[in-house]
Order: sequence, then structure tokens, then C-alpha cells
Amino acid sequence: MYQYDAIDKDFLADRSAEFRGQVARRLAGELSEDQFKPLRLMNGLYLQLHAYMLRIAIPYGSLNPTQMRKLAEISRTYDKGYGHFTTRTNLQFHWIKLKDAPDILDALASVDMHAIQTSGNCIRNVTADPYAGATAEELDDPRVWAEAIRQWSTVHPEFSWLPRKFKIAVTASVKDRTAARVHDIGLAIRRGRDGALGFEVMVGGGLGRTPYVGSTIREFLPAKRLVSYLEAILRVYNRLGRRDNSNKARIKILVATLGAEEFARQVEAEWEKAGDASDLPDTELARIRAAFAPTRFETLTARSEAFEAAKATSPALARFARNNLKPHKQPGYGIVEVSLKAIGATPGDANAEQMEVVADLAERYGQGDIRVTHEQNLVLPHVKLDDVAAVHAALAAAELATPNMGLVSDIIACPGLDYCALANARAIPIAQHIAERFADPDRAEAVGELKIKISGCINACGHHHIGHIGILGVDKKGEEFYQLTLGGSGAEDAAVGQMLGPALPANRVAEAVDQLVEVYLRERQGEERFLDTFRRTGVSPFKEAVYADAH
Amino acid sequence: MRALTANRLIDGEVVFWTDGRWVERFAEAQLFADDEAGEAAEAHAKTEVTTVVEPYLIDLIDAEGIWAPLSYRERIRALGPPNHHDHGKQAEGGAVVEALLNAHGAARSTGRVNLIKRK
Repeated sequence: MYQYDAIDKDFLADRSAEFRGQVARRLAGELSEDQFKPLRLMNGLYLQLHAYMLRIAIPYGSLNPTQMRKLAEISRTYDKGYGHFTTRTNLQFHWIKLKDAPDILDALASVDMHAIQTSGNCIRNVTADPYAGATAEELDDPRVWAEAIRQWSTVHPEFSWLPRKFKIAVTASVKDRTAARVHDIGLAIRRGRDGALGFEVMVGGGLGRTPYVGSTIREFLPAKRLVSYLEAILRVYNRLGRRDNSNKARIKILVATLGAEEFARQVEAEWEKAGDASDLPDTELARIRAAFAPTRFETLTARSEAFEAAKATSPALARFARNNLKPHKQPGYGIVEVSLKAIGATPGDANAEQMEVVADLAERYGQGDIRVTHEQNLVLPHVKLDDVAAVHAALAAAELATPNMGLVSDIIACPGLDYCALANARAIPIAQHIAERFADPDRAEAVGELKIKISGCINACGHHHIGHIGILGVDKKGEEFYQLTLGGSGAEDAAVGQMLGPALPANRVAEAVDQLVEVYLRERQGEERFLDTFRRTGVSPFKEAVYADAH
Repeated sequence: MRALTANRLIDGEVVFWTDGRWVERFAEAQLFADDEAGEAAEAHAKTEVTTVVEPYLIDLIDAEGIWAPLSYRERIRALGPPNHHDHGKQAEGGAVVEALLNAHGAARSTGRVNLIKRK
């Protein structure tokens, strides 16, 4: 894990002290709300329905146990004992008091954390593969590049006032666990024919009001030229992106307006003009890479007899292993997915005790490494197969072992109208109703991979456009209604979902999902996933089932 | 009928205006049958810049003989998050909380919409 140096620590201390002064001036009336609001937003502090919300950055979703315990402590001391992990792999506290915010920033700084650039029209937290350093699929460790981007983009003076917010994802595997194609910039690590490392650069993806899958503007960018190329993209965007209408200000609109080819041409021209002056020197890259040196693994056999014996006697462990245990690059190890989607719970929420359980397990069995996924779960990336039974037992005792990764009840949901000032409708109860309807784990496994994503408004924090089944809450003459889309994907086969039909009232949504699943089970051929069947059959059979009564 | 609401600056708590002061319980909110009186209170509230953020008037409806916010959003603000019934003002219980929990008929929060339009 990357360690902050003295300069980083001093900077965080200064930033926290600065915000303390700003809060004091606001409370004394020396700053108006209009003056103060951009300052608090720069420190991740929003005013929501019931209280202030603090969004804390978790760079590329990577946490150590000390940091996780500090988050638990903050939730107990300043919030109501829980936090919400988001689709940007950040953590939100929903019951924060303005007067406490400076103390919280100090507490975060004590463990090298902060809330900088979790809001505002700047480069936000970088997303990286949560299996980084653990999966055999990756060509390189994406955290190295995500950390380089973090350092380059943090309080970058040229890119702190972009036309709109800006999100970057880095993936290094064929299987994309970062939703790279729907980020403003998606970077996919590639190997050139000569074996050299580089990036496929995708630009202009995004969700929200106008969803787009990003376009590849460069098939292969030599890795060491990354920063100068990013600067060229950001410069073209900063110069030409719209500032007159916030709904049309994201880079996706610019790329769509110019066309990907013309946008790429302008980027290349800008890049050529700038040269390589801003690229990171090899020594700096080596310094960052050293922070992610491969974890020391024991030499083990690929098969753990202890684990096999435990699975044979525990169907619950066997089910957990089928769904939540993923292959590790090192023989005798596994990647453990920790579910924050217990049936009936709020997706992405973890209480203080659960955070501490995960911290303890990471320390004892997981080489001190914790990841947050954009699907709102946690990952222990390095667990010995010999220890999986013990980890499973501890997770199960804390209600963190629901064996549903990638299944129908592993639902993404934004906080919605339960908390959010922007929402039109609730997302959480819809997720709860669907999960309860599919609570039978045998049935969920029989259905197989099915990604349901729910947003409470068009801003799409719940990624509904890229759900195999997407659900968007809308305000229809003041009532909560839900618009369903089918066939979206945020993975390597990225696509924006297709509208199913007229919006449904809240009490019809779980039933409709059930009807969609029944159509899939009836129509599927061979090993098809829900998404594959939908892509083969089209929307008609699904539409007929859900709207049968309307005919 | 209308009431005047805001979030308190220091902690973000949802508050309601009643006879020159801010209270946390919707049950204690002052009810304005008269538009002019409500708007006068709103105008005054906007000068209390070190006490509250973005005050606005909300419409009320009769719910089982008790006045409740017309919009679903405002009922959630007056109660707390539906996913945690032990959090927020709803935890206290009582007749008004019950009435708000059972109230039907949702509509946009007109005061809030006006506030957004002004921006």
C-alpha cells in the first residue's frame, strides 16, 4: 500500500486546519452560505435531507485495517454507527454535524485519509480493479497507475475548475471490474507486440442524464507517456467543454459533439505540442511501484485439504466458496468477497462492528489489505485457502457472508430519497424488496449472474443504465415510479440498457423483476446468462411478461 | 396550509419555524393558513443566516385530522430515513409521527422546487 510521506501528512494537516478556520468563519457569519458552500464541497461535505453528509475518499478502493478501524470509530463518535460504501468506492457518513467536520478531518488525516476532491468539478477518486495484485488475469498492477494519477491530479491547479466533475478508471484484466467504459476516461492496460506496457485509452463514457459508452481514442499509449496524454485530454476538455449548462458539461457531451475521431485529433495535436515534460520520470514511477511490491506469499499447494474437508461438511461454506471466493494468482490462496448485501439490508451499508470485523480479518488472515468494489462490497484479496473456513465463520457471525456475489440480490443502490437531497424516489426499499423475493439461495444460484442496479434519480449514482436490469426512480406527478431498462452492462461488454416500457409503481417492481427472471429461465439456452439471453431474444418476451395485464 | 422549514446551519438538523424560533419537531411547527404571514416569516428567516440554511415554505395536507407535509420528500425530512426507523425524528414516536407515517398523497415539494428554480 502507498504510504504518505512527511509532505503528504503536512499537507493534510494544513488542509484540515484551513477548513477549521472556514467553518468558524461561516458559523460567525463572516462567510455567507454561497461563499462557504464551494469550500465545504471541496472537502466532501454536502447538506442532505437530514444532516450533512461527508464523502471520504478511498483511493482506488484500497484500505488498511487501521484506516477501516478509524472509519468505524468516526461512525460511532460522530455519526450513528454506520457508513455507506458507494459506487465510487468511497464511504459516506450521513449524519454529520458541521461543527464536528473539522475534528473528523483531523481524525481522517491521522490515518492518511481525507475527503478532498470527493466533490466539485475536479478529477475525482480513481477507480481500479479491486482484485489488483491478487488476480492472475492482470497484465500489471493497476494501483501503480491509479496512485500516479492520484498524485498528479490532487489539487492540480489547472484541473481544479473543470467544466464538470471527472472520473478515471484503470483496469488491467480482460474482465473489467471497474466499469472503465462508462468513466470519463477508462484506461485498460495492454501489452504491445514487443511486450511493452501501454494503455488503451477510452474517453467520453458516462451515465447520468445522457449515458454513453466511451470511445477508444488510442489503441496503445506507451505507459510512461500516461500523464502527458491525460493532460492533453484534460486541456482539450477544459478549453472546449461547455460551461453554460451543467447538464451538457461532461466530457462525454464534448466527445459526442465533436465525434471521437476529431476529439482524438485535437488531443494528439495538444499532446504533440506539450511534449513529455510532464511525464513521470522512471525514478518516480519506480518509487510508486515499490509501494505495491508483490505481497509475500507462502509456497502452498493449489489444493487445501483442510478447506476441502470443511466444505464437504458445511454446505454453507461450500455455497460461500462457489459464489464469494475467486481464484488467486498464488497457489493455495483465494480472493474473498465480503457481501454488504445481506438480504433485507441497505446495499453498501456497514456498521462499525462490521467494519472492525473486516479490519480484524484482514489483519489476521488477509495481509492487512482491504478493497472496496464499485458494486458496493468489500474484498479481502489475499486469504489462504486453509483460512477460508475461519474467515467465513467470522463473516457469517457479522452478517457479512451472504453468498450472493454477482447474483440477483447483489444489488447496487444509491441512498436515494431516504437520504439524498437530489433524489426523486427511494432506491433502498426497492433493493430490499427484490432481495427478499430472491432470498432462497438455491433459486438465486439457479438464476446465476444477474446485475440489478438502482438509482433514485437521473444522476445515476446507482449505475442503473448499465444494470442487466436497471431501475430508475422517477417522480411521476409526485408519486414514486420506477423505469426499468434491460441489457445494460458495465463490464468489458459495456452497453447502455434498453427501456422496457412505462414506469411501474413501487409495489410492482419486485414482482416485475421476478417476471423478467421467469422469462429468462424459460428462454435461456445452455449456459447463457440473463444478459446473453436478453441480447439474443431482444426485449419483446420480457416486455410481454411484465405488461401482460396492460393488454 | 403551510409551514416553514430549513436545515440548521451548525448540524444540518431539519427544523421548523414557530413564532420567531426554530424547533426540531414538525408537531410544533407554526401553521400558516395565510400566505402573507407565511411569506413574511420566510423573508425574516432568510435573514437568519448564521442559524439556518435555505429556509422555504412547504404545503400541508390534512392526514387523519393532523396536518402533514403534502410532499413525500418533506414527510421523509420531518420523519427521518425510511430505512432506519430508529434514526431521525420518527424514533420519538407519537401521534403526529404516526400520522405522517400513514399519510398518503405525494407531490413535489413546491417550496423546494421554487428554491431550485431560483438558483
